[in-house]
This record gives sequence, C-alpha cells and structure tokens, in this order.
Amino acid sequence: MTDAVLETTDVTVLLVDDNPQNLKVLYETLKDKGYRLLIANDGEKALDLAHRHQPEVILLDIMMPELDGYQVCERLKADPVTSDSAVVFLSALDDLQAKVRGFSLGGADYISKPFQAQEVIARVKTHARVIRLERELQARNRQLENDQARILNSISEGIYGLDATGVIVFANPAAAVTMGSSAEELIGQNFFDLHFRTAGQGRESLPVYATCSQGIAENQRDIEMLRADGTAFPVEYRSTPKLDGEELHGAVVVFRDITAELESEQALENARNMVQEQREQIAHFSRLTTMGEMAAGVAHEVNQPLTAITNYARVARRVLAKEEPDHQLLEETLEKIEAQSHRASEVIRRIRRFMKKPAAGKDVLSISALLEDTRQFAEVDIRNNEGGVEISVADNVPEVLADPVQVQQVALNLIRNALESTRSAGFSAPVEVAVTMSGRRCVRVTVTDHGVGLPDDAEEKLFLPFYTTKEEGMGIGLPMCRSLIQAQGGDIGFERPEHGGACFYFTLPVAGSDGTACAPDADSSGSAV
Amino acid sequence: MTDSQQTVYVVEDDEAVRDSLELLLKSDGKPVSTYENANTFLKDYSEKMAGCIVLDIRMPGMDGMELQKKLNEKHSILPIIFVTGHGDVPMAVDAMKEGAVDFIQKPYREEALLQKIEAALEQDREQRKTLGEKQEILRRVKSLTPREHEIMDRMIAGQANKVIAIELEISQRTVEIHRSRVMHKMGTHSLAHLVRMVLSVKDLIDPR
Repeated sequence: MTDAVLETTDVTVLLVDDNPQNLKVLYETLKDKGYRLLIANDGEKALDLAHRHQPEVILLDIMMPELDGYQVCERLKADPVTSDSAVVFLSALDDLQAKVRGFSLGGADYISKPFQAQEVIARVKTHARVIRLERELQARNRQLENDQARILNSISEGIYGLDATGVIVFANPAAAVTMGSSAEELIGQNFFDLHFRTAGQGRESLPVYATCSQGIAENQRDIEMLRADGTAFPVEYRSTPKLDGEELHGAVVVFRDITAELESEQALENARNMVQEQREQIAHFSRLTTMGEMAAGVAHEVNQPLTAITNYARVARRVLAKEEPDHQLLEETLEKIEAQSHRASEVIRRIRRFMKKPAAGKDVLSISALLEDTRQFAEVDIRNNEGGVEISVADNVPEVLADPVQVQQVALNLIRNALESTRSAGFSAPVEVAVTMSGRRCVRVTVTDHGVGLPDDAEEKLFLPFYTTKEEGMGIGLPMCRSLIQAQGGDIGFERPEHGGACFYFTLPVAGSDGTACAPDADSSGSAV
Repeated sequence: MTDSQQTVYVVEDDEAVRDSLELLLKSDGKPVSTYENANTFLKDYSEKMAGCIVLDIRMPGMDGMELQKKLNEKHSILPIIFVTGHGDVPMAVDAMKEGAVDFIQKPYREEALLQKIEAALEQDREQRKTLGEKQEILRRVKSLTPREHEIMDRMIAGQANKVIAIELEISQRTVEIHRSRVMHKMGTHSLAHLVRMVLSVKDLIDPR
C-alpha cells in the first residue's frame, strides 16, 4: 500500500477539544492534507460522531468538562464500531502517570500541548495509515474466512476439525447432515464418545485416534459410526493430522456415508455371481450336450474292452475245463482280462471327470497333460478319423492357472470341431494341436485342421450364440468356449492358415503371473474375435 | 469245389477284441485268421477262401460296410457276420440287403457268437456244395458237342425224337444215338433229372 493510495482514500480524522482555539489550530494544521476532518467540542458529540463515521484517527483532549478524554476513550473502545480507531491523546499534562493511564485505556499515542504542527501531521499520518492497513487486513481476513466457509459448506463430504483430545472444533454442514444433528450441537462434543459405541472401552483402537494423538494419517473404509439418534452407518474416512510446524493440534477428518455405495457394490457383486453361476450352468449343459453327441462313440469305447473280457473269460473257463489245464495260458488270459478292465474303467473315469459339475476353482495345471487326456477322450469319438490328433508341446512351457474342467471342455470342443471338419472334407491328415508361449505371461494352444476352412463371414458370426454351420449343431460350442476362456483371463480366436483349413487358438495366463489377463497379441496377424 | 479248409476270418481294428476272439475261436477248435483292417483282408482275399467273416462295422479307414460292398463286387460267397458296438437299425438293414448273414452286438454272449459262426459255416458249406454241383453240371454241359447240345435243348423243350429228326433233317436213329450220348455224358438216365440239372445252371450257360 503506497502513500499516494492512502492519501487519496477517504481517511477520517475526528478532532475533539473543548477549546475552540485549539480546535481551530488543529483544523488549520490538518486541512488540505487529504483527510476528512470532523470536529467535536465535547465528549458526547465526539462519541456520536465517532459512532456514525468510524474515524481512523481521533485526536482527543483529556481535560474536558463533563466527559473527560479518558472516559470518552473508554466508551470508544467499548463500542465495537469504534473500538479500532486510533485514539491520540492531546494534553498539557505531561506527567508519566497521565500517559500511562491513557495507554492503559487503549490510547494509541500521546501528544503534549502545546503541540508542533509537524508532529501532529506526522503522527496522524502514521496512525491513519496503520488503522487503514489493519482494516484492510481484517476485510481480507473476513473475505478469506468467507471463502473458506463457502468451500467447506459446499463439500458433500463431512468434515470435522478435532483437537488433540478428539473434541470437535469444526463441523461443516455436510457433517451435520450426515450425522443427523446441527453443527452447533456437534461442536464441543467428543468425536470418539459421540460416534463410537465402543468408546467407553478405550479409544486407542478407534479410528482417527492415532491421527489425533500421534499424527498418523489414516484412510479406512467400511467403518461403522453412530448418528445422533444412535443408528449406525458405514463410513469411509480420511484423517489428516493438523500440524503447526512440528506441533500436533489434532486432526481433520473427511468422511462420507457409503451405505448406498456398499449396496450398489453388493448388487454388482450379486449380478457378477449370478453371471458366473449361469456361465457354469451353461458350461455344464454344454458338456452334457457334447457328451450326448459323443454317446455312441463312448458306448463303443466301453464295449470294446467288455467284449474282449467276455471272450477272455470264456477262454479261461475252457482252459480250466481241460484235464490238464495250461496254467501259463490261463495266467496270460487272466492278465489280459485285468488289463481290459482297467481300460474300461479308464474310459469311464474320463467320462465321469468330464461330466462332473465344475468345482469352479482355478488350479495350477500342466496344459500338456490336460491336452493328452483330452486327446484320449476325443479319440473315443473319432474312430472313423484316420489321422487322429497329434500334440506338440514347445520346450519349457510352464504351468498355467485355470479351471481344468473348463479348459478341457474348450480344448475338446475345438478338437472335435477340427476332426469333424477334416473328416467332412474327406482328408485323413491329423488334427494338429500345438502348445507354445505367447509372450512371457501366456501359453497359447492352437488347433489346426485340414478341413474346408471358415466361411467368409466367420468373423462376424462364428462366436455368436446359437450360430452354427452344422446340420445338427446347437451353436453353443464357440460362444461357450469364448466365455469360458475369458473367465480364465485368456483370449480365443481363429486364423486362416495358408494351406487351407482352419486354426483356432486360445491363451491362458501362466501360473504366478499375478492373474494378468492375456491381452490379444498386438502382433498377431490373425483376426482376434 | 475246392479242398480249402473252412476258416473264420476276423476283421477287427481293436487289438484286444481281435486277440480275445482269436483265442476263443481257437480254443473252440476253429482255424482263425485275423486282420486289423479291411484293406489287409481285401489284399489277401481269394475266391478259394472258405468259411466265414466276422467283421467289425466301425473301423478307421474302410469300414465294414464298405468292405462288404467290395467283396460283393468280387462275387464273394463268404458269409459275413457283422459285429458292432452299437447296431442301429438302418445299418443292420443295409448290411442284410447286401447279403450279410447275421448281425451281432457287442458285447455278445460267446454262445450266441459261436452259434452264428456255426450257422455261417454250414451256409458256406451248402453254398460251396451247390456251387460245386453246378460247376460239375456246367463241366458236363461243356463236354457236349454242338450237335449234342442242340439235341439236348430240344429234349428239355419236350420234343419227341421224331419231331427232332424232322426239324434237323436227320434220321430218327441218329437222334436216338445223340440222345443216349447226352444222357451218358450228363450222367443220368432220367429226362426229369436232366431238365432239373440244366435249369439249375441255366443262368450260367452262355446264351446262344
């Protein structure tokens, strides 16, 4: 703030003296200095003018009839409107006691009579400037406080200011609304006693306590707090220590009621669970369908060992019926019976494993072992396919994290499709199943056939539910596969090999890769679907 | 008629089933030959083979039904017993139309299988015997001179010697001599028997 600014601003100076001569001299001294000058020749007039015009500086004579300068000063300081005016006493009394009294009553300065004009001018100027600055500072402070209050009032989260013992020293309107109480009622109460049922059993373990007492910031979710009416609600809060330099003055707590949030999270979770459950049921249904389609093949596969067993058993009986039974032949025959029963039970074991409801859990599993098992199972169905299935596994392919039943279903679907496609195209080349790494985090399984290839509009249609190219198909194979693979964090799609036929692939995350999903290969030339 | 011994030819891709069937039939005293697929059997096949075929329908490569058709093209008379894990009706009907003698489902009772094999072998013997007889008749027919054949045709048609003599413009006596030669060469004394014999091979004689 410059002098020039100060001088052009409207500074008011009140001159109070019962002596007209003195008043005149003062007036003459200060006129033309840019001040608005007010004149009072007794105490009552002075008080009246001061109250109405709030002068920055009051030059006040002490020795006056009726109200003397001390009394006027006392009353000026008692009136909030005039309390900040700078009172400069004017007196011929030049003893120390008079000065001390004047200062003790709130006087700002003391000019001895007879006064020097230059001294009066300088002192008035100084005090006018100080008062002006003080007033502006106060106005600025009020402005800042208002801004702050508006910000705090408009925040939808509740805000508490706490002192070091947990007493609420500030509460914004949102805090009051959330707590079902007014801010006035909240302020002055103890945060811990007011909002926690277990406050009586010690505060050490309560939320925010560590922030108040040790300056440790906290951020917690789903904490239960009590409202004024004693009902509890879930809260998420952040508490920050209130620090003044190194010194801890309590805490600021920002909190919000998360009842609705938790409810929608719960609803989302329920929906997710339902989708998962339905996915599993569809997966199960799809397996049963697959199984139905494979029933003839399976029946055949079980019948083979049973037929052999029946034959061997009859042979054994004939050997025994002889007078001199051939024990070695008998032994061999019984061994063969045993081997064939194992074969039959192995087929049944595979069927049961395939048919069972998914345990809905991911395991760490060897993809090559799983594929080998799947191959044997598929061969039940492919006895009319000369080529069969060839599996090749790249070196050092790690284990994957996935649901074995679901992965097997996908592999089986793809292999069966490939076999059927090859067969219907009249080829006898084997279906090639290859396991390779895709990046460092994913294992990639490709199933390549030598069939008629994919239709032109495959990209758009192949993975649509109930779309099928087969006469008797139900069209739940590939969409189901995609759903199952995505549930494992993998990806599924197809490519059109140069030699014709089709190549389907799926990826699975390597075990221990933190469940990172296998994003489609950026460099893959195929059409990811 | 050949002297080849009756054999049970087993065509079955499943090693255990093939092995157990072979053991079973051998323990029953039957000669057995096994083949693991239709092609190897077809390569081995000759019309001198006697016995029957036990044939699996479901096999990789050429299946049982296709093998049956190929054998029919070669005029095989070997009876076929089809074995299948799941005999569905249309397949059984097709097989029977193509001349299969029987159809048996896995897993079968061994008695049932042996009975069917026994019946097939009997049918094979019958067919071979009939075929042998026919071939003998044909051989005799072929030993006739053209004139004798001409006379025989007229005998079978029921013409009297006199009519034959007039139509052929030969003497009745000459007809009588040819006639007795025909009866001698055909190995019979009865006209009725001659008629039966010639009719049974009628479809095998070149039409003139």
